[in-house]
Amino acid sequence: MVLVAPSLADGELAVLEALAPTQAGEAARASILAQGLPTKRNEAFKWSDLRAALQDGVPKPSGSAGMVPACWQDALVIDFTPEGFGLEGDKDAGLVIESEESLPLEDVVGVESLAAGFAPRALVLRITSQQSRPIFLRRHPGAPMRVRVELKAETNLTLVDTSLGEAGLASALIEAELATGATLTRYSLQQGGNKAIDLSHCRVTIGAGATYEATSLMFGAHFARAETLARLIGAGGYCRIRGAYLLAGSSHADMTSKIIHLSPDTFTEELFKGAVQDRARGVFQGKILVERGAQQTDARQNHHALMLTEGAQIDAKPELEIYADDVQCAHGNTIGALDEEALFYLRQRGIPENQAKALLIEAFVTEVFDTLSEQDVRDWFNDQARTWLKSRVG
Amino acid sequence: MLNIDNLHVEIGGKAIINGLTLEVPAGQVHAIMGPNGAGKSTLSYALTGREGYEVTRGTATLNGVDLLSLPPEARAAKGLFLSFQYPLEIPGVPTLTFLRTALNAQRKARGEDEISVPDFMKLSREVAKKLGVTQDMMKRPLNVGFSGGEKKRMEIYAMALLDPRFMILDETDSGLDIDALRVVSEGVNALRGPKKAMLVITHYQRLLDYIKPDRVHVLAGGRIVDSGGPDLALTLEASGYDRYKDAA
Repeated sequence: MVLVAPSLADGELAVLEALAPTQAGEAARASILAQGLPTKRNEAFKWSDLRAALQDGVPKPSGSAGMVPACWQDALVIDFTPEGFGLEGDKDAGLVIESEESLPLEDVVGVESLAAGFAPRALVLRITSQQSRPIFLRRHPGAPMRVRVELKAETNLTLVDTSLGEAGLASALIEAELATGATLTRYSLQQGGNKAIDLSHCRVTIGAGATYEATSLMFGAHFARAETLARLIGAGGYCRIRGAYLLAGSSHADMTSKIIHLSPDTFTEELFKGAVQDRARGVFQGKILVERGAQQTDARQNHHALMLTEGAQIDAKPELEIYADDVQCAHGNTIGALDEEALFYLRQRGIPENQAKALLIEAFVTEVFDTLSEQDVRDWFNDQARTWLKSRVG
Repeated sequence: MLNIDNLHVEIGGKAIINGLTLEVPAGQVHAIMGPNGAGKSTLSYALTGREGYEVTRGTATLNGVDLLSLPPEARAAKGLFLSFQYPLEIPGVPTLTFLRTALNAQRKARGEDEISVPDFMKLSREVAKKLGVTQDMMKRPLNVGFSGGEKKRMEIYAMALLDPRFMILDETDSGLDIDALRVVSEGVNALRGPKKAMLVITHYQRLLDYIKPDRVHVLAGGRIVDSGGPDLALTLEASGYDRYKDAA
């Protein structure tokens, strides 16, 4: 019997209840009992106070997981619900699917510790040969997800994950190991209601000549935070993360990433773009760490955002920490308003103000998707952005 | 057609246009010439409704419709078009998408049916051919990577597609070499008609060799200080604007 410290807030007590009876659940429980949930007093959460977000407890799940979009009809769909996970669709050769106990991660607190702790079991995807069929991870409202992906040398996989809950606490932990020459392509879409909390963490180890390429679109939720922790451990390793965000109302979306270059001759390319209006808040924290031995690292990070109305908030913390002396690293960060001159130009041509704004915001934000090689995936993201803009701006 | 009466315009509390009166009847092309800072661009922005250009007195009507009470897009739908001195580059917005959106927005505002994609494509190709606008230019994001001449050609292309009734050309000759000037001017002249009119704003007489005006006005100190026939432009070219300094 563990004595609950009286200082824990209702939300923290509810989180303790929600943790699974696993070793990872126990570890998360111990962490909360010792330190509570992260608050704005923790540097990494200074703009995203998780304890405050959960002050009214854990919201009851509601809403739908959404249909599988047309461009992913061929995918193997794996549904994650609060009760567990299930598969639907065909599986190709070279894919082994197993489930294992949810084990605690070492030395972690915060989102990854919680996401590990909520999941009753972990799904394991072992890739032993080239995969042409994508895997679609459909996260239902209030569902925990933990997926471990192992890509053997010279294999590839496309992973799609969506979280569209109206309400509830949903969590995701993706752990990926990319062996030599492997490629993991990931697409995520997050859109939560004002009672939804979405916590996701992706930790990926990128081997020699391997590529991790992730693209996301976030519309936020009551509280949404997507974390990436990537480690480049072999020469020729490549990490490319792209994210777009569109936030309105009281939405909150946090994109926090840390990319660690541990090997010489490794590459990072980051591009995040967003637009925020009303009382919504966008948070971008991007750190690139180049360790002493990681010579010839080439790392680029860009974050550009538009503040559409007064009262909206965008917090950005780009960070480069470099311990090697022969590297190329650059970052750019801008936060501005919509270009009034461009807006007038469009209106002078007869386009009504709101439609002109929507057009300019779309053009600005969806630049993130311009370099996606697959037209139908690009269209999928662009359509999501356009639909949102039509209802919120246009 | 266009009637401006005793127009006063301020930018950030500073008076730029001070009691400008001008009438441009249908079927005519009027030129406005004047030194730097005379208020030429301010006039074009005030007429088209750009934010920050505050009309403090006076009226401006197009075919009897009060322009000043309308938002910029409604003025455009009434047939008012401004060819910008510095056309904007808008990354991420494909030129053709932009033009189709603009045309349909205007048609919708006028209660007309939208133009279908095939009809629009046909129309856009016909107009493009006349102005030397290439397919490549139309596929690119709006004005991105265009030369000065290409941007101006694109302005006239948009003008031809949208088929406005009153056209303001703000320094359309700036940044154009002689060949481009000829192409652009031919495009403009093709849009003249008995039910249309133009206001051509320029520093130099050169443009008026190609786009022949019916009347020439001198704008100085925010007012029309002289008006005359096409010959006035030639006189100005020879003598400069110095003699209007006092008038301003």
